[in-house]
Amino acid sequence: MSIFFRRRRRQKELNDKEQKKQLNSKGKDEKEGNQVDKKVQDRAEDWEKELVKSADYQKKNYINRKTGKKFIFTFIPTLVEEKVLDNNALPPLLEEEFLKITDVKKLLPIADVEVSSDTKKISQKLIEGYVMLTLEGDTSGFALFSAQKTVVRSVTAPEIEFSVIGPKEAFVEALGDNLNMIRRRLPIKELISEQFVVGKLSRTKISVIHIDGITNKEIVNTVKQRISEIEKDEIADSSYFTQLIADNGNSPFPQLLDSERPDRVAASLAEGKVAIIVDGSPHVLIGPTSLTEFFNAFEDYFLNWILATFIRMVRLFAVVFSIMITPLYVAVVTYHYELIPKDLLVTLVASRRVVPFPPILEALFLEITIELLREAGARLPTKVGQTIGIVGGIVIGTASVEAGLTSNVLLIFVALSALASFTTPVYQMSNTIRLLRFPFLFMAEIWGLLGMTIAFCFLITHLLRLTSLGLPYMEPMFPLRLKDFRDALFRLPFKNQATRPTFLRTKDFSRFSKEKAYQKKDIDE
Amino acid sequence: MQQTIPESLKISPFMAAFVIVSMQIGIGVLGYQRLISEDAGYDAWISVIMAGLTVNVLVWLMYKICETVNGDVMAANIYAFGKIIGNSINTLFIFYFIMTCLTVLSGLIEVIRTWMFLGMKPAFFASVYLILGIYIVNGGFRTVVGIALFGLVVPAYLLLSFVAPLRFGDLTNLLPILDHTPVQLVKSAYNMTLTYLGYSVLLFIYPFIKEPKKSKKWVHLGLFSTMAFFTALAVITFAYFPIALLQKSIWATLEMWKIVKLPFIERFEYLGLANWALVILPNVAISLWVASRIVKRVYHINQRKAVFVIAAIVLIVVIMLDSRERINTFHDFQAKAGFVLAYLYTPFLYIVLLIKKKVKAK
Repeated sequence: MSIFFRRRRRQKELNDKEQKKQLNSKGKDEKEGNQVDKKVQDRAEDWEKELVKSADYQKKNYINRKTGKKFIFTFIPTLVEEKVLDNNALPPLLEEEFLKITDVKKLLPIADVEVSSDTKKISQKLIEGYVMLTLEGDTSGFALFSAQKTVVRSVTAPEIEFSVIGPKEAFVEALGDNLNMIRRRLPIKELISEQFVVGKLSRTKISVIHIDGITNKEIVNTVKQRISEIEKDEIADSSYFTQLIADNGNSPFPQLLDSERPDRVAASLAEGKVAIIVDGSPHVLIGPTSLTEFFNAFEDYFLNWILATFIRMVRLFAVVFSIMITPLYVAVVTYHYELIPKDLLVTLVASRRVVPFPPILEALFLEITIELLREAGARLPTKVGQTIGIVGGIVIGTASVEAGLTSNVLLIFVALSALASFTTPVYQMSNTIRLLRFPFLFMAEIWGLLGMTIAFCFLITHLLRLTSLGLPYMEPMFPLRLKDFRDALFRLPFKNQATRPTFLRTKDFSRFSKEKAYQKKDIDE
Repeated sequence: MQQTIPESLKISPFMAAFVIVSMQIGIGVLGYQRLISEDAGYDAWISVIMAGLTVNVLVWLMYKICETVNGDVMAANIYAFGKIIGNSINTLFIFYFIMTCLTVLSGLIEVIRTWMFLGMKPAFFASVYLILGIYIVNGGFRTVVGIALFGLVVPAYLLLSFVAPLRFGDLTNLLPILDHTPVQLVKSAYNMTLTYLGYSVLLFIYPFIKEPKKSKKWVHLGLFSTMAFFTALAVITFAYFPIALLQKSIWATLEMWKIVKLPFIERFEYLGLANWALVILPNVAISLWVASRIVKRVYHINQRKAVFVIAAIVLIVVIMLDSRERINTFHDFQAKAGFVLAYLYTPFLYIVLLIKKKVKAK
């Protein structure tokens, strides 16, 4: 029993503190009665029982000059733009004739005003940054008008998908601003955005966008159905979302493409894909996607198709090199040294002469060092990080070769493969590539080249089993669609891309008229 | 009479050809040259073509069988012979496909133990390989077909390596042509049938093909290409090897790989063998899939459990097949079983189905 009384006593103390704060806060000359009612706790209505406990919950009384009636503003100041209240809302309400609550629609120069008597909405709207207005004596309803303050980062250049040429806009954390950027690039009425609210505590707004008449309805319905099945309390970012609606949560491969570029999202929407914007995240998800998309940077479209194809080939080679080279070294040096031609063998043997470890331990040591450097470099503040990265990398590398812990050939390979793994344009995929090296290394240690082939088979099988929003992940390669290769591993000029990708099964598959794009005239005509 | 397969699980007609071709290219390719040259000498390339043409005829018969019941051969058996006999024939098929898987896997392990890793324990390698097979089968038929595609496309560069022996070979080895009796040629063709086996999976994948009539063209094209490949390889082998040496070379193809010279690789056969594990994988996966599917259809056991048990049986028998003599005996048995299945059983089933259809039509 005494605990119960202690709690009430503490509540009273808090209340007194609240009152003192109110008394000491800056007052403006037009307001009267700038105090929270002392017995407000006891007289609190149902909808404000929790709100009253917060220090940033205020009720302000004003008296209208013309009619002499009192009206009360109830709001949470940290969510509300005080300027809107002072400059837009207060003057008309104080000066003009304010007889009944429905007058507020005439008086307030604010667009988002509603008069209602539904008390269930109140606490929700107050939390969203609305201000509640009650008129003394008029119990027919109350007015809610919006005066929200949004704290949002300004639009900057993309960090991960930075392109040397082309637009340098990246998404921000507010859903409205992101949708604005996308709509500006696709100003057609068929661009439909449907909104959902997910997450019991975070109440995150999610917007699913697609182009009506182009996108296959099945994909949109799949996304909507998966959203409705989400069970989570707090969603911090779109990457949470990717994991929640993934086809296969146990796969290291990302099944939805995330992008921070509005132009990439607009291009994907035009292809017939679905985009998902999550409020609070600067990454927009695009689906359905396929493996080859993760190796396409948007910058490829800004270059000539020959250059773009060349760069894509380099990227692909870099990824394969990055995964395979260290396991190949371990396999060949441990089991198949007869594979190496004589001249290279001399170099290898000379470099390994002083190393006391078998190749697998050398390789593991270097790989783990690189991973440590990478993780540490990611956590250090920028000024210290760069120095330690360079010094650590160079010093550790050189010292370990001189100490005889590793061979310099392997050091070159490991460093090159680490470098090559950064060529993947999408961050989610580059982490996967980092991880993939280790199973290959392990299998190379067990069975050499044969083990690497087996590991490769496991990888291919896993990718074949993967689907993205129900559509196959290995798309142009496995359900072999030669037409879709024109934008997968290499890029053909725009006039060859007159139809949309087959696997999306879009309703309208022709993008533009092929004949007009292909017009050819005879010589000297 | 037949469970309908949902459209999303079916494969395109072009892919059916990949399944058949990848099932045919298996362990036989590495050493068939010795078997066919025993009887017909260096005219054996003619028997290769002869055997290949008969395969085309058989596949045509198989299509007719499946079209009659508009399903796979299990339904055809039940239609032709009634439930009990039909299901017992289907059970025999289970054992046939387990034997196929065993043949291929034990052949691969034997080759690896001889050419790459002398002291490798077959149990360890076979269990990892079979786990991979189970993983593929668990992904459904589409994953199996995907592996068939990759098992053909990725090692396709090995075709280029067969040009190397031609430089040292002498095509005049093939002359004089046709100095063997037709009986010898036919015997040689009989020996070739083990290598060509694999087309019988068509009987089981028929319901999974999207437009079966369209796939006929592709499958026959695939069979022709296998025939062309085997013929060309036989000709190259005969050009390179003197006949006495060929009689002693169990794995002629591997010996031909030894002479390939690349600037950065000294021993090409290691690369070829490592890729051979990839070529064999579709064979193992498809046989596991077919065997477990028959079990599912006949005995109504969950296919995931069935494939696990079948893989365990394969593992146990692979451990027992550890010497050349045992493997030889087993392969001979498999060849005989395959011959009976393809050349005797298929026409027999076709005739019975024709008769049954006429009887029912009356």
